[in-house]
Amino acid sequence: MKHESTITLKVNGRPTTVTIPVRTSLADLLRDHLDLTGTHLGCEHGVCGACTVLVDEEPVRSCITLAASCEDRSVTTIEGLDDELTEIVREAFSAKHGLQCGFCTPAMLVAARDIVQRVPDANEQEIRDELAGNICRCTGYVGIVQAVAAAQERSRERQCMEVTE
Amino acid sequence: MKPPPFAYERPQDIEHVLALLAEHGDEAKVLAGGQSLVPVLNLRLSYPAILLDVGDISELRDARFGGGAQLGATVTHSAIEDDTVPDPSRGLLPHVAHGIGYRAIRNRGTVGGSLVHADPSAEWPVVMSALGAEVVVRSQRAERSIPVRDLYRGHFTTTIEPDELVIRVDVPSVGPRMRWGFHKQARKVGEFAESLAVALLSHDAEGEVDGLDLWLGAAADVPVRVEGLADILRSESHATRDRAIQAHVAGVLPGAQTPEERYLRHLHGIAACRAIGQALGQETP
Repeated sequence: MKHESTITLKVNGRPTTVTIPVRTSLADLLRDHLDLTGTHLGCEHGVCGACTVLVDEEPVRSCITLAASCEDRSVTTIEGLDDELTEIVREAFSAKHGLQCGFCTPAMLVAARDIVQRVPDANEQEIRDELAGNICRCTGYVGIVQAVAAAQERSRERQCMEVTE
Repeated sequence: MKPPPFAYERPQDIEHVLALLAEHGDEAKVLAGGQSLVPVLNLRLSYPAILLDVGDISELRDARFGGGAQLGATVTHSAIEDDTVPDPSRGLLPHVAHGIGYRAIRNRGTVGGSLVHADPSAEWPVVMSALGAEVVVRSQRAERSIPVRDLYRGHFTTTIEPDELVIRVDVPSVGPRMRWGFHKQARKVGEFAESLAVALLSHDAEGEVDGLDLWLGAAADVPVRVEGLADILRSESHATRDRAIQAHVAGVLPGAQTPEERYLRHLHGIAACRAIGQALGQETP
């Protein structure tokens, strides 16, 4: 029976082949085997959100996703998020004081970007509900919620500008 | 925490899964979304010898309408939430799906996985019981249909045999004169429920309530059906209704000894009231 596996997947746009114990989580593959330590581990059972990355463009918990399950998939970590929407979200977090120690921040950015993209009209309560899966021990969430709202507005402005251009 | 060692296979079709299940029996665990299984492994609560990853099997992810909805076992909660699969429940299924955990969990977690995991505080066991859904399971021996109401033996325990694989869930359509209500009580959005109530209300042509089916989750080790509430609705006035519902629910549930048990039993009564209230307030098509 197979306890080790060689898998190929895309990580931040790059085809990557690794041989790993099959029990390796996606998080441990990224952090320990690929030196992409921007993805953090908080609880290792899916409740804190610090490990959130994108798999095939969708947020997933890398701590409870087996690396082997990601064969042929496309994984994007915080290190690989560089599109315009990400820049809007980053600037908003900076302007609205959406981080202190930074431990939750990579995953918060992934989650915030997903919220702005998927539920662009979310109101404050809906933003809070959508962020419920990402725990922050420092900020009390106020700045984070404001950052998401600011990113929504900026994103709308950008879309209006694109239409008129 | 890191999981214990296990072997891993990624079958490309159902027949291969069934052969592996026949070979390994209860030493094998099927891996669908992994949102319940991998935490169990990371917490070392279970030591399966081998995981069978069914993520590549497209037949298990299919969904179609056929007198109700047929949802493949690996249809995700987010697919249900986003209404990208047939909804036979006039909005109940997407509403329920939206409250499960968090979006990142819903992107991987599956309806079949949730039903098989049999957590009494989860949504699908109680909601699918209320809707009268059936799971279709297959082994090398046979294929059979199990009503979700008959699926649960206890906490995390089902009547599915070790060599059987859940293929899909068949969910009947909610009738035109049915209204639904759903209430999940949790301290934080997305957490497992302290109390879950699903109310399915039917009324006659004159608008009078002629049936009320109420199911409670997180109230026992299996979903609980509460009967006799239609009579209460018919006989009580608006002002006395909630009290009467709470008393009736408290009577149906096992005795509460400690203050915490009494509090939780109180919550179940509240959840029932809110679900019924929502159903009463819902517009009919």
